[in-house]
Amino acid sequence: MTIFDWRNELNRDGHRVVISGQPIAMHCHHYNINLQKTMEETLGTEGVELLYRSAEETNYHSLQHLFNHYNKIRTLKSKLEMASLLYQNCGLGIIHFRKVRPNLAYIASTSSHHVTGWLAKHGRRDTPGCHFTRGWIAGALEVIYQRPLGYYIVEELRCKMKRDEECVFHVKER
Amino acid sequence: MAIDVSKIIHAVMEGSKIRESKGIIPLFGVYLSLFSVYYYNRLSFDFEIKMGKPREAEARALLIKAAQECGYATFQGIRDSWEWQQVVAPMVENQEDQILGFVAVAVAFGWGDLAVEELVPGEKLVIRANDSYEARGYLEQYGPAKSEKCYMLRGVAGAFMDLIYGSDYPDGLYAFSALETCCRAKGDTCCEFIARKSPYRPNA
Ligand SMILES: [Zn+2]
Ligand SMILES: [Zn+2]
Repeated sequence: MTIFDWRNELNRDGHRVVISGQPIAMHCHHYNINLQKTMEETLGTEGVELLYRSAEETNYHSLQHLFNHYNKIRTLKSKLEMASLLYQNCGLGIIHFRKVRPNLAYIASTSSHHVTGWLAKHGRRDTPGCHFTRGWIAGALEVIYQRPLGYYIVEELRCKMKRDEECVFHVKER
Repeated sequence: MAIDVSKIIHAVMEGSKIRESKGIIPLFGVYLSLFSVYYYNRLSFDFEIKMGKPREAEARALLIKAAQECGYATFQGIRDSWEWQQVVAPMVENQEDQILGFVAVAVAFGWGDLAVEELVPGEKLVIRANDSYEARGYLEQYGPAKSEKCYMLRGVAGAFMDLIYGSDYPDGLYAFSALETCCRAKGDTCCEFIARKSPYRPNA
């Protein structure tokens, strides 16, 4: 894709780091996974929900900003491409939008920061653990289909943290 | 001091543009992610809110602990890395320079305009920031705070001292701990972190 030149989007604004003008922080898997573990262990399902919602809300606003900025990106295909490019270039991993409809979607991830980080720190787990990515996907599709925050619910059917071959996400209307 | 902060920032910015085919950024011995500060602030401060008044101290301690453990492992990885050897090590003349190198990496990561104000070897580290993403984010997302809010930087300040003056890795964690003595989120002119050696464990 030529409209969105990734290398020019990541910059410094004084001491801040920005992507397309929006402030970001670089963090490593130690911190991201520590935060996840803290949320899950301390608050249980409420902590999982917090991870999901925070990622959903953040990605919703970030992508909204990007699509407003790059208003030539209009088709569903190009928007999905841009979203997966963003995911990849933020070091979050690889995401494949396998089947996407306004009311239903199947998405797979063959590699991710959170999976790599979790397995490196804690090894295999028994339950799906990509709460961040679930939220990220929900926010992305809500922006792309111009739905309000919270419109979609994303479940993870298979997860590499459980040593499944890939992470598979199912999206439906809430 | 011989630490060239801009050189370290440049190395991090260039390195963070390199991707392997799986969309993972392996840099300075860790896997990096680049994500909006809004996410980290929402997660941390909503966690504190969800824990409620009775568990407020526990929430803060957990957030500081998550950051101190992370800072300890992360910066251990960083100083062991090939990039550190190439870029930073040639500028490091003594242990104190290592802390300056750590702080430069933290600035490069977009955590704030951190600067070392005082360093008493083995005793005390004072770091100041006029702008941290936590304080700024709290003000923007929640309004003026009643107490200091930079839990991540507080944990990390302790970790820096643990790595330099604590026992050898991995036994030096929590040898030091930091307080945030003033914070922009509650209207102070800057955020200030003071790490000292103490029996303190992060539970307040
Ligand atoms: Zn997964
Ligand atoms: Zn502060």
